[in-house]
Amino acid sequence: MAKRNITYLTDALLITCVVQKDLAEPILEAAKNAGAQGATISFAQGTGIRERMGLLGVTIDEQKEVIRIVVSQEQSELVFETMYLAGKLDDPGKGIMFMSSLDRVATYIPE
Amino acid sequence: MRYSDYLNSVAVKHRTVSYNAITPKPQKGHSSASLPRIKVTFSQALELLAPYCGSRIIGQLKAVVPLAAYLTLFQLLVLRHPVEAALSLGFGLIAVVVGLALFMEGLSTGLMPFGNIIGDNLPKKASMPLVLLIIGILGVGVTFAEPAIGALQAFGASVDVTKAPYLYEILNNWTLPLVLMVGGGVGIAAILGTIRFVRGWSLKPMIYLALLPVVILTVFAWFDPNLRSILGLAWDCGAVTTGPVTVPLVLSLGIGIANAAGKGTSSLSGFGVVTMASLFPILAVLVLAIFVSFSVTPEEIIAVAANSAGNISEIEPSIWEQTPLVETVLGVRAILPLVLFLMFVLFFVLKSSLPNRMVTIYGLCLSIIGMCVFNIGLTYGLGAIGSQTGGVLPAAFMELPISATSPIFGLTMGLIVVIGFAFILGFGATLAEPALNALGMTVENLTNGAFRKSMLMYSVAGGVAVGIALGVSKVVLGFDLMKVLLPLYGLGVILTIFSTEEFVNVAWDSAGVTTGPVTVPLVLAMGLGLGNAVSAVEGFGILSLASICPIVAVLSMGLVIQFTNKRSANQSVTQG
Repeated sequence: MAKRNITYLTDALLITCVVQKDLAEPILEAAKNAGAQGATISFAQGTGIRERMGLLGVTIDEQKEVIRIVVSQEQSELVFETMYLAGKLDDPGKGIMFMSSLDRVATYIPE
Repeated sequence: MRYSDYLNSVAVKHRTVSYNAITPKPQKGHSSASLPRIKVTFSQALELLAPYCGSRIIGQLKAVVPLAAYLTLFQLLVLRHPVEAALSLGFGLIAVVVGLALFMEGLSTGLMPFGNIIGDNLPKKASMPLVLLIIGILGVGVTFAEPAIGALQAFGASVDVTKAPYLYEILNNWTLPLVLMVGGGVGIAAILGTIRFVRGWSLKPMIYLALLPVVILTVFAWFDPNLRSILGLAWDCGAVTTGPVTVPLVLSLGIGIANAAGKGTSSLSGFGVVTMASLFPILAVLVLAIFVSFSVTPEEIIAVAANSAGNISEIEPSIWEQTPLVETVLGVRAILPLVLFLMFVLFFVLKSSLPNRMVTIYGLCLSIIGMCVFNIGLTYGLGAIGSQTGGVLPAAFMELPISATSPIFGLTMGLIVVIGFAFILGFGATLAEPALNALGMTVENLTNGAFRKSMLMYSVAGGVAVGIALGVSKVVLGFDLMKVLLPLYGLGVILTIFSTEEFVNVAWDSAGVTTGPVTVPLVLAMGLGLGNAVSAVEGFGILSLASICPIVAVLSMGLVIQFTNKRSANQSVTQG
């Protein structure tokens, strides 16, 4: 068996974006165009905004999609903002996104 | 300068605000400060509402438009007959789409939360007999609320009283008892289904036991020449009841109770209720028909009908009997009892309050409005287009007074065209049914991929197609429904004996799942229109054939899969 080793990546950030179900597609597209290499999507259920919008709250789907993308520090700003604009997160009820720094990242790294 | 910096400065203005500034200040001993309402401007509200309404309407458009287009195009191109009253038809179809969209949204925001809460909490707070009683009453309530049940009531007038007196009598003067009996059947089915959840009974013996009285009563009615015409209606009722209201609501209750009893782990526990709910109403309608046959004679019915037919030209229909008020009354009458009953259970039995009151009330209002709009659409859209096409359809093979070019084809060729038309209608309508897709996914997961989703969908759709084609040929050729239906059910039972429990559950449920609120009225109206045009006794029976054929199709498909799996397993054993 060949000798194995792990390469740690630093300067990595995690962008997490929670949006209503079925709204993830344009955001993913935009993130890929801005240089993101991949994304993980999972389903979730959200609360909070519906109750605070009165009757209009019914227009907001309780089912959410959570997009997680690991980006390098250099591309992070661009990807984050592209995703924000593509998801139209400046409208009420559309979703929330945040970025957090990662201690270390390890995966397959192409030569 | 970095490219991202450049883009940022050009595209978006930045501002940094501390989150501390917009959260309420923490205070000791005083928790949960109420958050202010979010104010939404008019344009923002529009932006929220547009995709919300759009996606729901498009979902219904996908179900209605292809069917309506197929029917009108067939009528125009093959039958060469102009579409009559196209404007009111168009508005009717729009009403169907809007009504269904409103109703389904109301169902998921208003009625379903009720079902979930009651299902979760009822078994903890009430004794088992009370729980079963409530579920039984609920079965009646959901039957009233089922959109397709209105279709049955709407077609009563088109039955010829002299040829089928009891059918006429039940559809015109006994509609309320009819729906009540059907509902009672669903209620008993729901009770038995729940007991089955809790006890973990096998479905096979339940199918045999439920079929036995149905067959006995059917044979009894078949030997009475006056009652024979009711059989088509009775067997069709089973297909009508298992629609978009009954299935999810009864299931959510049953699963909640099974969870509370600690036996909800079986992946199959969701199945079986639909099967029972489509067998018991048949029994109930047969009992009602036999009861009617003991209380009035055919001669009396014909005499009364002749009297009222003479009077009808003199009496101006009151404002309550005109569109749109009559549809509105029907819609309110369909939903309100169910809602009131659910509220009664929630407030007085469970003594709890509504969660998220405003949204639930909004959902309930939507479902009532949606039901009313759908009823209008049923009369002017689906029912009209179905009976119109059904009425012109025989022009393919026989001379009709309404069609100048008839007969378009020779007798054999024309019959082939008509039956082919019915086959494609059934196939397309079933594949478009969203419930079938969901069932396919469940089945693929249940069988670990042995029964692929596409395979299930095609065998169900093929079964429905064969069923509708058979049904249409029954109406056109006038052969006896029972001579086809009973052997098919016999075949279904034989296949059931040899199949495994999983396939039995899936197969018997697949029939009920496929008969949705668009297909049922359309097919019923088409059958009745066709029946009138070829002056058959009655046009019922298409739906019942469309229910049993997919059962047989799925069961045989399951047996084939079982067989090939076993063989490949044997081979791998001998090789290894």
